[in-house]
Amino acid sequence: MSAFVSTLLRYRVAVILGLTLLVAAMIVPGFVSLTTLSLGLDRGSTIGLIAIGLTVLLIAGQIDLSVGSVFAVAGIVAVMLQPMLGMGPAAVVGVLAGTAAGIVNGCLVVFLRVNSLVATLATMLIFRSIAHWMTASQPIPGTDIMFSITLSEIYLQVFTVRSGLFLVSILLLHVWLTRTVAGRNLFAVGSNALSAEASGISSDRIMFSSFVFASTLAGVAGVLQSLATNTGSPVYGSELTVAVIAAVVVGGTRLEGGRGSALGTLGGVLTIAALTTAMEFQSVPAYMQQVASGLILILLVVLDRTVRTGGKTRRKRCPRLTLFISNR
Amino acid sequence: MIGKTATVPAIAAVALLASTAFASAKTVCYVTAADSHAYATPANVALNDRAKELGIEILSLSQNFDVQTGTEQVSTCIARKADGIILWPLDPQAYIPALARAKQANIPAILINSPMAEQANEFIKSFTGPDVYEEGKLAADSLNEAMKGEGAVVVIAGQAGNGTTIGRVGGFVDRLKETGSKIEVLDTVNADFDQQKALVASRDLITRFGDKITGVYANDDTMARGFIDAWKEANAGKPTPPIVGINGQRDAFDSIRSGEMYSTIVQSPVEDGKLAINTMAEILDGKEVNARLPIPLTVVTKANVDSVEPAF
Repeated sequence: MSAFVSTLLRYRVAVILGLTLLVAAMIVPGFVSLTTLSLGLDRGSTIGLIAIGLTVLLIAGQIDLSVGSVFAVAGIVAVMLQPMLGMGPAAVVGVLAGTAAGIVNGCLVVFLRVNSLVATLATMLIFRSIAHWMTASQPIPGTDIMFSITLSEIYLQVFTVRSGLFLVSILLLHVWLTRTVAGRNLFAVGSNALSAEASGISSDRIMFSSFVFASTLAGVAGVLQSLATNTGSPVYGSELTVAVIAAVVVGGTRLEGGRGSALGTLGGVLTIAALTTAMEFQSVPAYMQQVASGLILILLVVLDRTVRTGGKTRRKRCPRLTLFISNR
Repeated sequence: MIGKTATVPAIAAVALLASTAFASAKTVCYVTAADSHAYATPANVALNDRAKELGIEILSLSQNFDVQTGTEQVSTCIARKADGIILWPLDPQAYIPALARAKQANIPAILINSPMAEQANEFIKSFTGPDVYEEGKLAADSLNEAMKGEGAVVVIAGQAGNGTTIGRVGGFVDRLKETGSKIEVLDTVNADFDQQKALVASRDLITRFGDKITGVYANDDTMARGFIDAWKEANAGKPTPPIVGINGQRDAFDSIRSGEMYSTIVQSPVEDGKLAINTMAEILDGKEVNARLPIPLTVVTKANVDSVEPAF
């Protein structure tokens, strides 16, 4: 494999994102504009904030299917408490509701040893039902629609509060994952929890914190969404989880744990957002958009395999891969 | 239809905002509820066909019943610099910031089919579509007549929080109270305007309440069908209690003829779609339009089932 091709494969997310943007710019009239960029970023940031939490959790080798439900519950709490506490404190309590959900998930997986797929599948249903129960299945309006309009305002022609927050958070995640001991420990736990434990890392603590972190961020995203739409709705986020997982996996984070990156997730989120926006510009039906997203997902996963096989022949064997296999 | 002279100011206004040339081709962004749905699909088709006649290009986006997707799609319409937005709202509040942004960008927006909260009024030019609250009232009257003012009903409602659901349930309940009817509502369940979901929900209701159910109100005919199927499974050969639906679908007409359903209310998706695009065309022509433009409603029972055209 030539060096050029392997470089392309290494940065495949960036390549796919670049290609998506290039093709969109060429065939979609009016796509290249600051408005498109700012709205694309804003729509990506909802998925993106949740994706940050899920990146951490996936690297730790776990998954959380309940993020979409937590998203709804946190938003509902933030809107429901507005008349009593005021907007700011209510928003904080909303985020804390997300944190609490994360503690539940963490306890189930870490202390009761329930498989995270099963545990969060259950809490996904439970949290969603709680959202319906709290609201009697009705959307709840907030107290101040003007604040929602302020929140959707565009600054410097590009950023909304949400997209700014997302971009800053993903940079922080990048630094944390690559520059800190805790970040490295996370990868160790995801690669092989037992070996990590043997080298003095507390896997349980890391996994537990990861669940809390993921749910808290889902809470932040949910609260922001509810503030931006001035509505707490029990149906919010029901389509989100799959999109978020897709974005994270497109970004090169492995479902099996032990590998992933913040910038990859950024690429994944932007690719999905760009793809959706471009196809909406061309009025491509929603189901065709899903087909395209699915195909890109498959393409990237296949490329991922190619890269790893390439690495294996060149460098004999990737150590992390060995760990992963021995883990099964 | 579109007088060239009348469109000059509109085009000039849009051209000022739009930097690219395509904006003058008159694109109307249509954010619809869903692509494939018994009611939405014929409305979409009618809207698109009429747009073609009017020489308006439609950018059609489907929310697939997801509010969040819809709010983002309105943003896409703004980024795409559409000349107008027709929104099928699935929530009374959530689209308001997006609509405010559209107003900021000087893009006129109207609502089709479902209402939104009052706060949305300043951001929209008009709301075209059936008066769903009125439909709820008509349904209450019809069911009241069928049940002679007493008994117990179950309500199979549409999607939670949807303006149509809120109106159709609200109008029904308010009207029963208003007329002093002795009909009791046993339970209200959400089946999302989906036949399969209505079937499942109805099985539960029939198991729970059994013979106590002496009447049924479904927020649309599709869900009424779900109840009929569940009833037949549970009580083969036993006649159904009076069932009232809404929409006036062809198969509901058949059910009325065979006595499986008591009545439906004809609300034509074709009229719904046409009225929206016609209204938007007038707005693009610079004409003033009414803030509320309803489509006609007809209650259909066995008495007039053969003289009324089904909606779809």
